[in-house]
Amino acid sequence: MYRTIHYYLNTLYWFWYTGFSSELEYRLNVYVEIFAVIGNLTGSLFVLSMFYSNGSTLGGWTFNNSLTVLSIYTFLEGLTTCFLHPNLSRIVRHVQHGTLDYILLKPIQSQLWLSLRIFSPWGIPSILVGIALLIYSLSRSASLISYMSIFLGIIMLLSSIVILYSLWFILATTSIWFVKVWNATEVLRSLLVAGRYPISAYPSMLRAVFTFLLPIAFLTSVPSEVFIGQSSSFYVFLSILFGCIFLLISIFFWRYALRFYTSASS
Amino acid sequence: MTKKIFRIYRVASSLLTAQYALMIEYRAEIALWAISGLLPLIMLALWSKSDVIGSVGLTSQEITHYFVSAFIVRQFTAVWVMVSFEEDNIEGKLSPFLLQPLPPFWRYASSHVAEQLTRIPFVFFMISILFLFVPNSFFIPKLKDFILAGIAIFLAFCVRFLIHWIFAMLCFWNERAAAIERLLLIPYLFLSGLVAPLEVFSDGVRSISMLTPYPYLLSFPSKVMSGAEVNIIGGFAALLAWGFCLFVVSIFAWRQGVKRYSAMGA
Amino acid sequence: MSTEKVSMNIISVDELCKSYRVSVKKPGIAATLSNFLNRQLHVVEAVKRVSFNIDQGEIVGFIGPNGAGKTTTLKMLCGLVHPTSGEVSVSGHRPKERNRDFLQEITLVMGQKQQLIWDLPPLDSFFVNAAVYGLTKCEAKNRIDELAAMLDLDKELTRPVRKLSLGQRMKAELLAALLHRPSVLFLDEPTLGLDVNAQSRVRKFLRQYNKRYGATILLTSHYMGDITSLCSRVLLINEGSLFYDGPLEELTGKLSPYRSVRIELKEPHQKSSFMQYGILEEFDERLVRMLIPRDELTAAITSILNSFPVKDLEICDPPIEELIGNLFQSGIVP
Repeated sequence: MYRTIHYYLNTLYWFWYTGFSSELEYRLNVYVEIFAVIGNLTGSLFVLSMFYSNGSTLGGWTFNNSLTVLSIYTFLEGLTTCFLHPNLSRIVRHVQHGTLDYILLKPIQSQLWLSLRIFSPWGIPSILVGIALLIYSLSRSASLISYMSIFLGIIMLLSSIVILYSLWFILATTSIWFVKVWNATEVLRSLLVAGRYPISAYPSMLRAVFTFLLPIAFLTSVPSEVFIGQSSSFYVFLSILFGCIFLLISIFFWRYALRFYTSASS
Repeated sequence: MTKKIFRIYRVASSLLTAQYALMIEYRAEIALWAISGLLPLIMLALWSKSDVIGSVGLTSQEITHYFVSAFIVRQFTAVWVMVSFEEDNIEGKLSPFLLQPLPPFWRYASSHVAEQLTRIPFVFFMISILFLFVPNSFFIPKLKDFILAGIAIFLAFCVRFLIHWIFAMLCFWNERAAAIERLLLIPYLFLSGLVAPLEVFSDGVRSISMLTPYPYLLSFPSKVMSGAEVNIIGGFAALLAWGFCLFVVSIFAWRQGVKRYSAMGA
Repeated sequence: MSTEKVSMNIISVDELCKSYRVSVKKPGIAATLSNFLNRQLHVVEAVKRVSFNIDQGEIVGFIGPNGAGKTTTLKMLCGLVHPTSGEVSVSGHRPKERNRDFLQEITLVMGQKQQLIWDLPPLDSFFVNAAVYGLTKCEAKNRIDELAAMLDLDKELTRPVRKLSLGQRMKAELLAALLHRPSVLFLDEPTLGLDVNAQSRVRKFLRQYNKRYGATILLTSHYMGDITSLCSRVLLINEGSLFYDGPLEELTGKLSPYRSVRIELKEPHQKSSFMQYGILEEFDERLVRMLIPRDELTAAITSILNSFPVKDLEICDPPIEELIGNLFQSGIVP
């Protein structure tokens, strides 16, 4: 047990250590990223304030609770930049160049390697700003935040990370069949923008789509509600269930794709 | 004189035909890019449920027509010249381009126009789907509005292309300059009227935004198309003025860039 | 008794077959649609009932024309392609399962595909591999030093891969692939595109590695030099079937009684006047290319020089593809 944990930690250390320093050579990126985070945050707050002008609200949420949604969105976006985007875009390249073979011959789960091989530091500003905004919005919350709801909220956040990861990975897996699929991730990204705002602000048909078809509700709205202590245990249960289901789908779909790869490639 | 015009026509038509053939090859990607321009429709879903719209004196029909038009305008003003310029610069394709008797500017401009032509059927398809599922979003602009909007879209595209082209020249100084595109998108996103109609902006923000070219890039053509009340002459005058100024700057930037390029001996 | 035999053979392949279904599709949108509705599949047999055994420590050359099924067979041996039928065993494992112990034992190097990350120094990729294969940092360092010494690599290891020459890059690739000290090496065109110097360095290294660790090596190559200098035994495969399995001398005995002779004449001559010397491969009035049996070479050349106005004359070993092609043409099938 200890050896296994040590093995994975050591592997992760080397995964992320390499490449980190070379990324930092692109100094322009540092400034661009910091300005982009500030700019996007200002813009988002500006849009939110417009929704709340003249005493109006967004889907019945207080401004402060909408901030919680926005903070979780910013945090998840940072994770996407750090892990999902850099790693999963490589799957397409591995398939194109035939270097997937090398990864399949490594004595490590190929899904683990493909998902975590690279750590790109450019998402860190978003992650930090997201966490800061989350703490700020929770500290100003009208209702009292209990330790229980923080604990459950963190679980919900983990579940939303798992769902987000699975969506990306499932999409990236299809590159085994369709090499040009990478552009489809742009579509996914553009849809996920809907998670910037509370789900109840959408018309009912879209709300159903964003809950059951493309679970955007579980990415930002449900964790926010849980943090504030306004969610039902049904949604907590549903979120965990969705997390498990999507993760399992991503694992089995990857295995299925590999079976196809190993029996069809030459 | 006629000889010169004939030559320009021949170069332009052959360039466009070639780029169009190339874009047809990329039709799958273009379809996906087209789908990823969903943001105006997501914002429509949010604003149509908000009370703020009524309080600034807009009807729900007006707001629907505005965002549907904005969706179309955005489809035909997409610009990605920074990314392709950076790629060509890094891969060393720029040197052969510079040796040809045609300024590279036209090569990139024609590829954008060709891409837009390829997009037309996809946009038609998506709009039909939208009208089918959300019947009350259906509307057909008046012929006069449609033609005027077409011209406004083309001018807006030119202005946006010039902005990006000027910043693309930074690639002569820094290999990774395309990262700046992320920053260029922020004011476009929040000031152009893409996420909210300008009427909702607070007076201060609106008057600041009107000093930038952004509202003319999206809000103005969208309003023309949706038949809303708008200062048509003022809008066109602003687009032409911005276009002229940026054109002058772009020539200057290009000359400086090429000077730098030859000095570097790349 | 039989178990003893199995333990001797580190690789054993029995009646291995691989067939693909390929859909027949013409270009164009209409064809795409009709193909979608009414799929026409036909089966391509890439590997047909191939059987062989390889002992521990052997270096075996795997040769055959392009598309003969070499790469497919190699990939089946490492478990990347699943066989349609037949049995494969590599150091006691079934490659198809790709389990940990098996993967620790083998390695694959493909000359045209690289595993090192383009923008990083090779050293970074080595340490990632070391971690994945469960080596401690200390072990990894020692092995890198040892292999780097064998490969003559030094400061190249800290330069980004993109700044290395092709030869240096290939050596770094080999180092990355051998860090976990595999006992079975599958090499697919490991010297592809390298200059003569780099080729011989790689060969020398492989021989050394084989000796030092008793590793088994199965390699494909288009360069006869790789085969002749490394392999005592070759497997010859054509159109998916194994045609020859035996020592290299016997194969060269069958093939290189011929040498390729290229003659440039001052004046055009009749084709028929050259027929007596050997097998004509190319004839263009002034340019003659032919295969002449080695025993008769001296006599034939003397005779040619005496009877024709020769401008230029060149004698070499025919390229491996031609040797094989000739083998099949002449009908000498073992």
